Amino acid sequence: MSTAVEFRHLRKVYGDTVVIPDFSLCIEKGEFVTIIGSSGCGKTTVLKMINGLYEPSGGDVFVNGKNIRDLDLIALRRSIGYSIQGSVLFPHMTVEQNIAYVPNLWNRRDREKTRRAVDKWMDIVGLDAGLKERYPAELSGGQQQRVGIARALAASPEILLMDEPFGAVDAITRGQLQKELKQIYEKTGITVFFVTHDIDEALRLGTRILVMDRGEIQQYGTPDEVLRSPKTDYVKMLVARYRDEPPT
Amino acid sequence: MLKEIGSLLTGKWDFFGSLLLEHIEISTAAILIAIVFGGLTGILISEYRRTAKPTLSIVNFLYTIPSISMLGFLIPFSGIGNVTAVIALTIYALLPMVRNTYTGMTNVDPAILEAAKGMGSTELQRIIRIQLPLAMPVIMAGIRNMVTMTIALAGIASFIGAGGLGVAIYRGITTNNAAMTISGSFLIAVLALVVDFVLGFVEKRAGLRGRRARRQNRFMAVAAGILAVCVICAVVAPGHKDRVIHVATKPMTEQYILGEMLKAMIQQDTDLKVELTQGVGGGTSNIEPAMEKGEFDLYPEYTGTGWNMVLKRDGLYSEKEFDTLRNDYEKNLNLTWVGMYGFNDTFGIAVRGEIAEKYGLESCSNLKRVASQLVFGAEYDFFQRKDGYDMLCKTYGLKFRKTRDMDMGLKYQAISNGKVDIMPINTTDGQLAKADVTVLRDDLHMYPSYRCGNVVQMETLEKHPELRAVLRKFNGIITNEDMQKMNYQVETQKKEPAAVAKAFLKKKGLLR
Repeated sequence: MSTAVEFRHLRKVYGDTVVIPDFSLCIEKGEFVTIIGSSGCGKTTVLKMINGLYEPSGGDVFVNGKNIRDLDLIALRRSIGYSIQGSVLFPHMTVEQNIAYVPNLWNRRDREKTRRAVDKWMDIVGLDAGLKERYPAELSGGQQQRVGIARALAASPEILLMDEPFGAVDAITRGQLQKELKQIYEKTGITVFFVTHDIDEALRLGTRILVMDRGEIQQYGTPDEVLRSPKTDYVKMLVARYRDEPPT
Repeated sequence: MLKEIGSLLTGKWDFFGSLLLEHIEISTAAILIAIVFGGLTGILISEYRRTAKPTLSIVNFLYTIPSISMLGFLIPFSGIGNVTAVIALTIYALLPMVRNTYTGMTNVDPAILEAAKGMGSTELQRIIRIQLPLAMPVIMAGIRNMVTMTIALAGIASFIGAGGLGVAIYRGITTNNAAMTISGSFLIAVLALVVDFVLGFVEKRAGLRGRRARRQNRFMAVAAGILAVCVICAVVAPGHKDRVIHVATKPMTEQYILGEMLKAMIQQDTDLKVELTQGVGGGTSNIEPAMEKGEFDLYPEYTGTGWNMVLKRDGLYSEKEFDTLRNDYEKNLNLTWVGMYGFNDTFGIAVRGEIAEKYGLESCSNLKRVASQLVFGAEYDFFQRKDGYDMLCKTYGLKFRKTRDMDMGLKYQAISNGKVDIMPINTTDGQLAKADVTVLRDDLHMYPSYRCGNVVQMETLEKHPELRAVLRKFNGIITNEDMQKMNYQVETQKKEPAAVAKAFLKKKGLLR
């Protein structure tokens, strides 16, 4: 397997506050990486440095072996799926227009191709085709999340960034969405970065878990490794309640 | 009053209709420019936040300039007429436009903008596809606000010779015709309300999201677009600019009448078309620069005014110097005087008829023996002016028993019921025609002569030689008494300047 994303001595500073002191990590292609940590630990910052939304204060990020400093950020972002907290759909666009947003950024001429992509992804995330003309305000919370996922995937990216996408939905819908996301991941084999502050979610979804605290890596490993041999006190505390019964 | 307005509106619909159309043209131009320019400014300062504060301060400052002085500032740059009006209106329209665009753009949920950016939108795509549509409700509120304001404000554009319904208002004020003023104001209000309603409708339709509503919207948008194109074509189409004579008049009743006379005669005797801009605010000080720029071809002027205000000569003008006056005009300004009407609109001193008879008063010099028994009344201003009360007393060595301040509009009433005995007048005052007063001869030539005649572009006369013949027909046809009577008919009897002008020309056998 080759490397999808590599961080080399990444550093991020806001004014006098050091958010990420020195962050290095290699992520293989096809991993589902869940990033967990308490709020302010720098997990969102790391995520947003992958698609260049945040510029590193020092160090480098490589995507598919290329330093993103040398890449056209607009093209890079279009090739990376992006879904943020609550999925934030565009309220003035229909479901169809939302999902077609990234394909339409490239060009609007190949409408047939875009329509097929929209149909395909609506089907995959389990949205009824009759919802195409609806506006986000006319959808349930779960439907909105599904549109968010479809929108992030519509341009068939190889990497998908998700920042607490299911933060605002109820527990039942959340469970369903997690299951569906896992299925989509298994079907497409893309590399996923999934930020969460819920250890259940992190263990359930991730093939690799990245535990962060105060901008530093506490542990990077499979759910099994994290559960069986937590490396630091912080990880221990995080997985304490799973000692005896691993999550299903 | 209501009935009067109603019959005025229906009876003179041609007049009001064309003003209304012009009003719409001027406002639309300003509104469109403001939407584009103000919108762009709003977007730019929302992108470059550091420039927002200074920009908004400047726009705010411009907004606080009183409209009359704004027009005054602009005249030296853009002259008189519609262009200046559009510029001024645009400047005022900028504030609501810039501010609302800025507010709307900056209030869009930052999470949405970050999502757009994170998905790979360019700055332009983010602005056009996401930020602008979401800011639209706030921008639209600004547009509605601005449109209503612009339509209302366009009413003062006539002050600088632009068209629009302000012409009716201004004419109503200068010819003492309240119904005319109210009709103009009423139409402006109606126009503003209708446009606001239409915009509200558009806003509501745009907010509808059903599939059918959207199809209907598309249909209505196309229909509105076609209608707009037709209207623009109809408005822009008529050309033949060089066959049009542009005539200006000052905001005085007698000039409105003269303007109508000129229009009627020129259009009868030649195949030229006359574009009449009545009652340009500020009179000579605004018309004269416009003449020099070639925006007007001719206007009625007074010799004394030309001498002092235009040629800037010192000293008292008398008609002996008319040749010098005309030569200087031709040499320095490329303008000339053709067609001297005959009347002299100068200042004068009038006494009640019975007093003139009792003491045998004919000239101001005669006053010396009786002044100490007379009450002198005048508007407040007259007692302050350099060439007012003090000059009169000094020139003729007079000392009146008493002086009294009066309202200008009431002075003829005051003299006829004996509140005052003697007062300053203008020699063509309409009320002179009916009042029982005697105008005393200014035998020491205290006041300059103000004979009325047409100031014309020499270039226009070369291009259309037939014009000179028409203007010459006006030589000496109107006496002071004639002018007084015509002013009286318009100001007091509420007749139309055009009707009065035509009736007079017919009586003189000039108009068929």
